Amino acid sequence: MSLLVSYLEHAVAVFPSLLRGAVITIEVTTFAIFFGLIFGTIAAFGKLSKRSIFKVPSIVYIDFIRGTPLFVQILLFYYGIPGLITAATGQVFRIDPIIAGIVVCSINSGAYNAEIVRAGIKSVDRGQMEAARSLGMTERQAMKDVIMPQAVKLIIPPLGNEFIALLKDSSLLAIISVHELSKNGMLYVSKTFAAFPTYISVALVYLALTMGISRILAYVERRLGVSDRSE
Amino acid sequence: MIEVNNLHKHFGKLEVLKGITERVEEREVVCVIGPSGSGKSTFLRCMNLLETPTAGEIRINGELVTDPKIDINKIREEVGMVFQRFNLFPHMTALKNVALPPMRVRGLSEKEAYDRARDLLKKVGLEDKANVYPSSLSGGQQQRVAIARALAMRPKIMLFDEPTSALDPEMVGEVLNVMKDLAKEGMTMIVVTHEMGFAREVGDRVLFMDEGVIVEKGTPDEIFFNAQNERTKSFLSKIL
Ligand SMILES: Nc1ncnc2c1ncn2[C@@H]1O[C@H](COP(=O)(O)OP(=O)(O)O)[C@@H](O)[C@H]1O
Ligand SMILES: [Mg+2]
Repeated sequence: MSLLVSYLEHAVAVFPSLLRGAVITIEVTTFAIFFGLIFGTIAAFGKLSKRSIFKVPSIVYIDFIRGTPLFVQILLFYYGIPGLITAATGQVFRIDPIIAGIVVCSINSGAYNAEIVRAGIKSVDRGQMEAARSLGMTERQAMKDVIMPQAVKLIIPPLGNEFIALLKDSSLLAIISVHELSKNGMLYVSKTFAAFPTYISVALVYLALTMGISRILAYVERRLGVSDRSE
Repeated sequence: MIEVNNLHKHFGKLEVLKGITERVEEREVVCVIGPSGSGKSTFLRCMNLLETPTAGEIRINGELVTDPKIDINKIREEVGMVFQRFNLFPHMTALKNVALPPMRVRGLSEKEAYDRARDLLKKVGLEDKANVYPSSLSGGQQQRVAIARALAMRPKIMLFDEPTSALDPEMVGEVLNVMKDLAKEGMTMIVVTHEMGFAREVGDRVLFMDEGVIVEKGTPDEIFFNAQNERTKSFLSKIL
């Protein structure tokens, strides 16, 4: 009984700090979703392009990011690259951990988004592009008015899963002292040794956040489903 | 109107068109028949540059469309195409399918484009389906919308690639009737079809293609009832 009381007390005590951490988590995730979408779209079109100046860098980017762990990417970007710049210029160079976190998460998420966007575009029937082109529409017009509206419906659900994964993976930023949700939990445990109540609280806050995203996504999907009666 | 001179098309090592030379006059309706894989679609698709010819020349109204410097979109505006599988835009109503291309490509105002689209849907007998999405239309209705959509660009030439072969038999007639009206109005048409009735009623000439060449050509009656070439005869005996 007293154990339960003590656990509850820890859960209550750590909660404000977890909320502050959750705000950072949401902040990093939101920026990373935004920039990740931009990077992902650019890389998707790059990889779809027939011209190798666009195609090759996109493929290298996508394969490098997807083929290496996010954890290592964080270390490389936060410690490796500033270290390199410091060595090269002779002046100490540092990055703010939150900025670094947003940049790495955006780059990482962008590579996964790129494959989702590309797959969505590719799965629109080839006849659609041909019909649009045979009517004299330019490739750009056909993309905008014909292909993308159909691709978006295929892209949204897997993209949603990607956003949820991103939110969870942002916990890895604890390693570079971004004071997000997990890190704040770890700090509390290092002072109190109350690992179980703290980490179960951390887990529940993540759960609440991912369920929140799921809700938003379900709403968006419903809206898109309703405005389109083609099915 | 259309002059094709020694047209060749390769896909990698595979030579699909092996030197096609043909003229189609203004207001002429030419039907193309031939076994599957003989290059009929490829021939048609070369004419609006959905496929880039490997060698040879195509002139439309005297303009060399195989010139690499030509504006492909300008050519396509003049040459309408109707596909076997309709290829309507599923996320737009029938009316918008027809109205969008002239708005985007010809710069028509929304009102002009929608007025034109309504007239064309009426012409193909689908004015009551204007606000319906393609998935709620029958195959025959979808193909008629697709014809209206191609016509909305006011093309000078219409290409039809087996426009009725994906349709249930009871819907073939409604599509062919629209095409017959079009032929009677004087549209220049190249139609890949095995509908002999259509070819005999409005076709001026029939081309029989096999293995990438035009094996035999003549009036519909000459080809269907008095073919000279053995390959033509053998093909016709299978489809008639
Ligand atoms: N994009 C393509 N790539 C490779 N081969 C193709 C392509 N399009 C058509 N072919 C080949 O060209 C040949 C002729 O095809 P097609 O013109 O569609 O014939 P048809 O319309 O008479 O049935 C076929 O062997 C087909 O497999
Ligand atoms: Mg074909």
